[in-house]
Amino acid sequence: MTRRIRHIAAAAVIAGAVVAVQAAPAFASEETVGSCAAVEAIHTQEAVGELATLEEPGNEEALKKFDDALDACIEAPSPIIPATNEIIWGGGAFMVLLIFMIWKGVPAVRGAMDQRAEKIRTDLEAADQAKAEAVKIKTDHAAELAGAKAEAAALIDEARAQADRLKAELSARAEADIAEMRERAAADIEAGRAQALADLRAEVSQIAVGAAERVIHANLDPSTQRALVDAYIDEVAGANG
Amino acid sequence: MADNRIDGYAEAVLAVATAEGQSEIVEDELFRFAAALRSNDELVGTLSDPQLPIERRQKIVEDLLSGKASTVTNAAVSMIVVAGRGGDLPEIIDAVVERCSASRNRAVARVRSAVELTDDQKSRLAAAIKSSTGTEVDVRVIIDPSVLGGLVTEIGDDVIDGSVRHRLNQLRESFR
Repeated sequence: MTRRIRHIAAAAVIAGAVVAVQAAPAFASEETVGSCAAVEAIHTQEAVGELATLEEPGNEEALKKFDDALDACIEAPSPIIPATNEIIWGGGAFMVLLIFMIWKGVPAVRGAMDQRAEKIRTDLEAADQAKAEAVKIKTDHAAELAGAKAEAAALIDEARAQADRLKAELSARAEADIAEMRERAAADIEAGRAQALADLRAEVSQIAVGAAERVIHANLDPSTQRALVDAYIDEVAGANG
Repeated sequence: MADNRIDGYAEAVLAVATAEGQSEIVEDELFRFAAALRSNDELVGTLSDPQLPIERRQKIVEDLLSGKASTVTNAAVSMIVVAGRGGDLPEIIDAVVERCSASRNRAVARVRSAVELTDDQKSRLAAAIKSSTGTEVDVRVIIDPSVLGGLVTEIGDDVIDGSVRHRLNQLRESFR
């Protein structure tokens, strides 16, 4: 608990005590309905002897007087205007309390308000500083963001250019591959055609030679064999000449 | 080394045949036997099979030559087979034939024909070869049905091919 709060609490306790002390005489001087009626009953009893005799003929005057006195006791005070003694005691207590509050409470409240104002001023300055730092950070961030955006744009442009180059290279390579495949296919077709032609020729020659061999074999009788041998001998003999 | 061995066996066979006075008969019989071996690879494989007992291989030779060749020829072939040189028989026989011809100052003309040649044809062929090459030759005929007709003559490394088979091969090549 701070010193200021202790001062305020002490001032409140003292003010309450002063009010209680000042209010005590007012409570003490106040007359209740019962006590008023009792006093009036005593005065009436002293005047007529016994209160029971008030009902008897001849005491009408005393009875009326006693009723009026009771009515006066029962009559309520004004709800708006306090009693005079209450005004005096209440006003005195208020003045004491006011003086005490001015003497002790106002400086304490003022000090608390000053401290509070100082704290608020410090907080505002800190807030201003934080705001300035935030603005600076925001500015820096914006600058960095702009730089990042520029860098990203440059990267995108570079990537796009690289993609274009790659696309061109792939396209050229694909075209070269297609041309090579086409040439290879043409060569394969040509080789297949040549092979088929060669196979056909071989088959035709095989058939033709086989047929010729069968014909020759059927016609190679002994005289033909002898003629072939003689022709061979003549050919060998004539080779020198 | 192999040539030396073949020459050694050929000289041994020729020495025995000459000693027995049957060099020409042995030469002719061996030449025919060599022709039969060249047309039958299975027979050559059997005669050179080391897994087959020598007695069994010798019995095969006797079955082949008994009654068809002279005793000297039979003994010469048996000697080569028993020595484990059955696989070299064709080359040894060729060496024997060449040495016999050389002893007569002649070369060997191996003639492959589909039919047997008459003596007149052999002599005319020898004369024709002499007139074309200047070399005296002994004509050795090998019956080979695959030549179909005509003759194929081999003198050393020279080949004179006048066979029908050769003409057919030329025809086959002309189609390609």
